[in-house]
Amino acid sequence: MGAQTKPASSRSAGQLDAWHRWGPARRAVVSGLLLAHLLAIQVGPRSPSILSDVMRQFYRPYLDAAYLDHGYKFFAPEPGPSHLIRYELEFADGSRLEGRLPDRARHWPRLLYHRHFMLSEFMPQFGDQVWDPRLPWQEQLFSPAQQTYIRSYASHLLEEHDARRVTLYLVQHRVPDPAEVLGGLALDDPSLYRTRPMGSFERQRR
Amino acid sequence: MTPVNDYLRRLAAAAHDGWNRFWFTPADPATLSLIRLAAGAMLFYTHLVWTLDLEAFYGPHSWVGPAAATTVLRDPDGTGYTWSHFWLIQDTAVLWAAHLAALVVFAMFMLGWFTRLTSVLAYLLAVAYIHRVPGALFGLDQINAMLAMYLMLGPSGAAWSLDRLWAARRAGRPLPPAEPSVSANLAIRLIQLHMCVIYFYAALSKMHGGPTTWWSGEAIWYAIANLEYQSWDITWLARWPLSIALITQVTLYWELSFCVLVWPRLARPLMLVMAVPVHLGIALCMGMITFGLVMLIGCLSFVPPDLVRRLLRFPSDRRAGQAHSDPGSGVRSATACPPLADRRVGTEKQ
Repeated sequence: MGAQTKPASSRSAGQLDAWHRWGPARRAVVSGLLLAHLLAIQVGPRSPSILSDVMRQFYRPYLDAAYLDHGYKFFAPEPGPSHLIRYELEFADGSRLEGRLPDRARHWPRLLYHRHFMLSEFMPQFGDQVWDPRLPWQEQLFSPAQQTYIRSYASHLLEEHDARRVTLYLVQHRVPDPAEVLGGLALDDPSLYRTRPMGSFERQRR
Repeated sequence: MTPVNDYLRRLAAAAHDGWNRFWFTPADPATLSLIRLAAGAMLFYTHLVWTLDLEAFYGPHSWVGPAAATTVLRDPDGTGYTWSHFWLIQDTAVLWAAHLAALVVFAMFMLGWFTRLTSVLAYLLAVAYIHRVPGALFGLDQINAMLAMYLMLGPSGAAWSLDRLWAARRAGRPLPPAEPSVSANLAIRLIQLHMCVIYFYAALSKMHGGPTTWWSGEAIWYAIANLEYQSWDITWLARWPLSIALITQVTLYWELSFCVLVWPRLARPLMLVMAVPVHLGIALCMGMITFGLVMLIGCLSFVPPDLVRRLLRFPSDRRAGQAHSDPGSGVRSATACPPLADRRVGTEKQ
């Protein structure tokens, strides 16, 4: 492999010139900023430790403002099931309309479909979730933050469709095992879905 | 001098020199400019798609209203540092005007027109769009913002840009390739290191919290058999469990080792070639074409600028190169600058 770093004295003048195009003071300032930034981007995907908490408090204004606070947990720790939202709209004339998020028939191109998919996938990602081990998944309560989002989705649907009432459901879609698929189970078999009511909301009179 | 002192002195000298060489050696802006072109196109497309449902996401009655967004963006005491001009827009006509203006900025940035200004605006606008819709975001937005942030730090319009064409037109002759610059190197190095951070933590989180399906070699199955993601049905792989395990674990180990093996000159092409099936697989099989492509755009940062110039050499560049090949002219051709990957030998890190 040879010597990886030669002493500065043995380098050619050309190499030294290349590094020294910026003066020492400028390099020192930029180096300080680089170090601070490189530390910051390690804080986003932090592990839950006291050190990470302290660093996060320090860096939070920068991370938030620059949109750098990410865990980069792409399909981690598990790919897991999908979450969809099904809604039922009731109109003043008594008619009804059903829809879902996301909907391949309505949401095109794929990026727009994915935006709607993320709205439903966001529901199980809140940190303040309450979980009662005595209750099945279908009967679990939504946390205050989740409820705020549910109200927001409901409000949007009521306004968009000029509906009188909307009822929302969170639908979890389990991914079957390879053995189940080899055994003939379709990926959209009804047995793979379970539903949790999110609530009914009426349009507020203006 | 004791051996310990001698060691510490040599260590400090090597760290000082290595740091300076890594960050402050001027680099040809060719790679950075190519990334601007590709990332600019992705930024433009990403925001063009918002046009199809703009009011549903950014309007007064959007999916994510102010109260909902506050629960995510602010602490219970109201502390928060995210910002977006979209929170101030309540009128749909103003919203459309702001959106169309943003699309013009993204298009100008992609084409390299007033790049110094539009690169800064493109980053600020990308973050403003993101901060308005917490809940509708995914990896694409993280990489878009990251690339835009670093592209504004360097001369990303120095090649393959309208700025360059305009400068040549004003000069009345083809221009030589842009001068190597320290800021081009800084921007490329930051993208490279950020890509390493992304892959490293992506791998680490797949092994976090006890034995996972990534660890046991089944995770890829649960990704490809997810109907909501699926765009190309390859669940016939169920008959070949060994191939599922192989794809899962190669992906995991590739992500984990990327931050180390992408630096040695001999291993770098292998790591970058591996990125293509990994990200195109995500793009084609899981319907996340934009995310798969933007990760590959980030990986472009590891492609040496001389290779970029060879691959993207236009006839006008050749004429310009010949016109400026006079060794006594004092102008250092960008292609004469040692490529990033070739500057050192062995296992040294770039």
